[in-house]
Amino acid sequence: MNRLTNLPTLRINPAEELTFYYGRTNFSGCYGDTVASALYAGGVRIFSRSLKYHRPRGLYSLDGECSNTLMTVNSIPNIRTENTLLKPDMKVDAQNVMGSAENDMMGFMDKLDFFMPAGFYYRIMHKPSFIWPIFMKHIRKAAGLGTISPDFRMKGVYDEIYPVADVCIIGGGAAGMSAALAAADSGKRIILIESRPWLGGCFDYRIHSYGKGKPLYLRARELAAQVEQTPNIRIFKHTFLIGAYSANMLTAFQTGGENDSFDERYIEIKSESFVVATGCIERPLLFENNERPGVMQISCAHRLAKTYGVLPGKDAVFSVGHDTGLEAAIDLFDLGLKVSCVADIREDGHDQKLLEELAERRIPFLGGWAAARVHGEKHVNKVTLSKLDGTIQRHFHCDLLVASAGLTPVTAPLSLMNAGFEYDDHTGYFLPVNMPEKVFAAGRITGLNNPSSIEASGRLAGFMAAMASGASCKNEIEDARKALAMLPGPERGTKFLSVPVSGRKTFICFDEDTTIKNIRQAIDMGFDVPELIKRFTSAGTGPGQSGIPGHNLPLCVANYTGKCISKFRPTTVRPPVVPTYIATYAGRKHRMTKRTPVHDLQVKKCGVFRLMGVWERARYFSDDFTCRNEILNVRNNVGMLDSSTLGKFRIHGPDALKALQRVYVSDMRSVRNGCIKYSAMCNDDGCVIDDGVIVRISENDYYFTTSTARAGQTIEWIRYHTKYDDWDFHIVNLTDSMGVINISGPNSRKVLEKIADSDLSNTAFPFGGYREFSVAGVIPVRAMRPGFVGELSYELHVPSSWMQSLWEIIESAGKEFNIGNFGVEAQNVMRMEKGHLILGIESEQRTNLLDLGLGFLWDRSKMEAKTVGAVALRQAENDSGRLKLVGIKMDDSQRPPRDGSVIVDKRIRGYVCTARRSFSLDTVIGMAIVESDLSNIGTELEIFEDECKAELIHVRVVHMPFYDPEGKRMKM
Amino acid sequence: MIKAIQRRSPVQFDAKPLFTEMRNSWKIVLSYQDEKDGPFLVDLSHMTRWDIQDGKLDSILPVGIEIPETPGECRLKNGILINRMNRTQAAIWHLDQNAHDMPVESCYTDVTEATVFLALFGHNTFSITEKLTSLDFGNPGIKPPSLLQGPFCNVPSQIVLMEKKDNVSGAILLTCQRGYAHGIVSAIMDAGEEFGLRPAGESRFLGFLADGTSVLAS
Repeated sequence: MNRLTNLPTLRINPAEELTFYYGRTNFSGCYGDTVASALYAGGVRIFSRSLKYHRPRGLYSLDGECSNTLMTVNSIPNIRTENTLLKPDMKVDAQNVMGSAENDMMGFMDKLDFFMPAGFYYRIMHKPSFIWPIFMKHIRKAAGLGTISPDFRMKGVYDEIYPVADVCIIGGGAAGMSAALAAADSGKRIILIESRPWLGGCFDYRIHSYGKGKPLYLRARELAAQVEQTPNIRIFKHTFLIGAYSANMLTAFQTGGENDSFDERYIEIKSESFVVATGCIERPLLFENNERPGVMQISCAHRLAKTYGVLPGKDAVFSVGHDTGLEAAIDLFDLGLKVSCVADIREDGHDQKLLEELAERRIPFLGGWAAARVHGEKHVNKVTLSKLDGTIQRHFHCDLLVASAGLTPVTAPLSLMNAGFEYDDHTGYFLPVNMPEKVFAAGRITGLNNPSSIEASGRLAGFMAAMASGASCKNEIEDARKALAMLPGPERGTKFLSVPVSGRKTFICFDEDTTIKNIRQAIDMGFDVPELIKRFTSAGTGPGQSGIPGHNLPLCVANYTGKCISKFRPTTVRPPVVPTYIATYAGRKHRMTKRTPVHDLQVKKCGVFRLMGVWERARYFSDDFTCRNEILNVRNNVGMLDSSTLGKFRIHGPDALKALQRVYVSDMRSVRNGCIKYSAMCNDDGCVIDDGVIVRISENDYYFTTSTARAGQTIEWIRYHTKYDDWDFHIVNLTDSMGVINISGPNSRKVLEKIADSDLSNTAFPFGGYREFSVAGVIPVRAMRPGFVGELSYELHVPSSWMQSLWEIIESAGKEFNIGNFGVEAQNVMRMEKGHLILGIESEQRTNLLDLGLGFLWDRSKMEAKTVGAVALRQAENDSGRLKLVGIKMDDSQRPPRDGSVIVDKRIRGYVCTARRSFSLDTVIGMAIVESDLSNIGTELEIFEDECKAELIHVRVVHMPFYDPEGKRMKM
Repeated sequence: MIKAIQRRSPVQFDAKPLFTEMRNSWKIVLSYQDEKDGPFLVDLSHMTRWDIQDGKLDSILPVGIEIPETPGECRLKNGILINRMNRTQAAIWHLDQNAHDMPVESCYTDVTEATVFLALFGHNTFSITEKLTSLDFGNPGIKPPSLLQGPFCNVPSQIVLMEKKDNVSGAILLTCQRGYAHGIVSAIMDAGEEFGLRPAGESRFLGFLADGTSVLAS
């Protein structure tokens, strides 16, 4: 293994070898390697092909700032190999290639750039119009990186946590660690997140002096040790910020290490205050073929050697714009890299000591020069350097170009937090202004570069964040402020400079293959704002989220338009800031649905469950989804249904009746002891939102039911509509407290009589009655006699803990009468036969109480202003042009139309709410909502279904109810 | 086939009961096999809970105990835990084996059946809860016992912080709608797997209540 093994800055263990596969070839890396560093160490230089032009792409940032190194790992596409730690036996493949990354048959696309100018998607291939769909199909097919099988299942454990902190610090470099230590002094709870698997930031790999002979990397380790030993600092390493939201919330995800119980976990952090210490990235230098494999940023080349022990090349040229470039050239030279030349875009302002060190090593230095072009088809083999005005050029043969235009702050977190940015002439940075409340910036993001200043700014931000979260540290802040003022301030940075280039192959956005030429084309077409240019050219819309083009784009636009840079800002960054697995968002995928007390008993009876709202309900009890047997058993014998999902409430207090009067359309004074009263609630538009029965338990004490769907909103609804009345009443939600068993069918009384200690004769307990009795001497039952399915029925409300026992008792007692389970679908058919509606299925926003034929519930003698919806109902009463609910019947009993099918003549005139084959009536019936002129009995309606091929279904409007219109069966 | 006529909890742990007891028609598991050293999850759904709502809560003394004044405050006395929920409402949880008869005043409602009632306690309790809720049990300003109301596994819940030893160890009592019992128990057990969470019987909880520190220190 060709590694530098004796460096104190290494984060790999060269002694621990890991094998993996790239394509079909066996590779080896070291423990601590990323997939990308291991591939590079193994000689791989082309990692992928670019989106549009299929240009070869290689290592560039080593921090996943662009899509260059997105690869397929273990069948998962678009893995950021620069950020993914190598694991044994990983299977790595190049993506967006036809053939291999080295020999991609789509490579010819690079010659077709003339065919794809800025915004070509909107401009080219649209005339004549018929050709666009053809091209669109192919463009869409070509778009996107990587492929995944639709039935692919993610392996691994995806966890989630929701930690809370007083101060959250983003960035584990020197500034972030100093901020954490300062804030922790106050005793507050600190969370520190860092995207790399270790703390240290830009100090971590550098041997440049921190002061007193101590190198930066040792200082980083010192700080890291202090942070790790501080009990009130919680560190999340290898954790990537995804988003920042209101309510002081940050989202991130953490990649699990070998000792973690998860592969990735979603982290949602709530914190009182924040410190953003995300430091700087390098602003790409713009020149022809600036993304050719072999071109990489300073920190990429430097870290490859110092962190991973991989010398990035043999013969290098440096074209840089910051002292870190000079530092890297010296350092890498000392490690054995031949450095043919160092060009610096700056004419002056260099660290003289570094220049002397270059001279000592006889490394040629060119101030005011920069790379103009890289040569080589697939790899760098020559570099042309040029004076900035383009007047003089020099050529160097090399296999590595370390290129950077200077530093630029990582502003994405602050952008997510709605900070403003302003261009600063001195630093050449877009610096944060108008910081959000309780958010503080520290370190290099503020333009500082001196190591002591970076730490001091971190301490100041840490104290300020602690104070913002309630700590008392005014004096510490004052001291920290003074200490910072004594240290060097922000350094002069590099302006937006490059040598004159045609821009045809000068890429400003690697992800989307957007060139400088594209940007100029967009500006020439009138797009003069970076946000619009971004959309028109796609620059910055790739998976790197503006990592590469982020700050170059506004600078480039200002430069080309000749406008003042102060008018421009970096484009908006949106979550997720870094590509995030959907599996990570999904987390543990806990299925938080509700089950009734007799769920398991119904499972044993082959219940087929469906999710209805939050409840799991047994919809069928066989694989015959027409439910023929279930229905006929209820009609002829007796069936039992679990109706526990009904909303159930107790309302009590001196003003309980007033509250009921307010929300129900009926006169609730008429609720009689021992009887149920069916009524409905409307909204202010008179639309029915709920229905149910009300029972008077005692004076000022009522028990009422609601539909399953509305149960969750009922208390708020009643409170909302009585909020100004100062009435004395209280509501208790008993939905889960009481289970409900519905026994229906002509034999239901016989079953119940066997187990109840009460007279259940029709005289003693008539239709519409309410009784309380017990079963087996111990199970308390509240029994009602409704008629929803049109048969003799009992609705037994029972404390949930007794439900299983009662269910088994009824099953046993009903055995001799062939009692059977029936599900929600059978109930649905039977209630439809009876003409009873289900709100939400036979009602909608446009239909009011009257339209649905429920006007009989409305007590017009109640004061309108006191009943929710009454005013609207009064107004709608004489409106002839409304929708109406009608019964429909098919003339020829074929299959029923599908629910939701539209009723048409020359236009849509209504729709089918429910239609089913009625086994009780041996025909197809249903309910539909139609315009009122179609609602007369006998009207012929035509129904259009998807893919009916113009063969309309014919039905007639008929009277409801269809079944037992006189209601004798439910009153027997 | 009728099984015994008895009341059943919505919670069923995947563990073998060691000792059980019939009480007030509930079959209560006193201990499970292999409970180990914690953390523990105990089903207390059989323990009586009352809801009390009244405009003048301050004038009411449920079983002789004053209702705390401030929402979020709790009072634990003689095995009765009273949690002030809001201006007009409090919850009364019986944490011992001897439930009182519910007073006859209409302001009381027995809500034992309405919710699932769980105790989670021992080492790493808050490492487990952190995976399920953003409720801040570690807030130094919240002293046990205190009531927190909010989402737990995305389900609206009432949670009482009973004990807090350090950032990770302590005890909570949790109630949420009974129908969610299966989902919430699965979620807690799943979240607690890496910390060795085991189902435990009522005795373990009563032991903790009698001497909480020993459980947390073990």
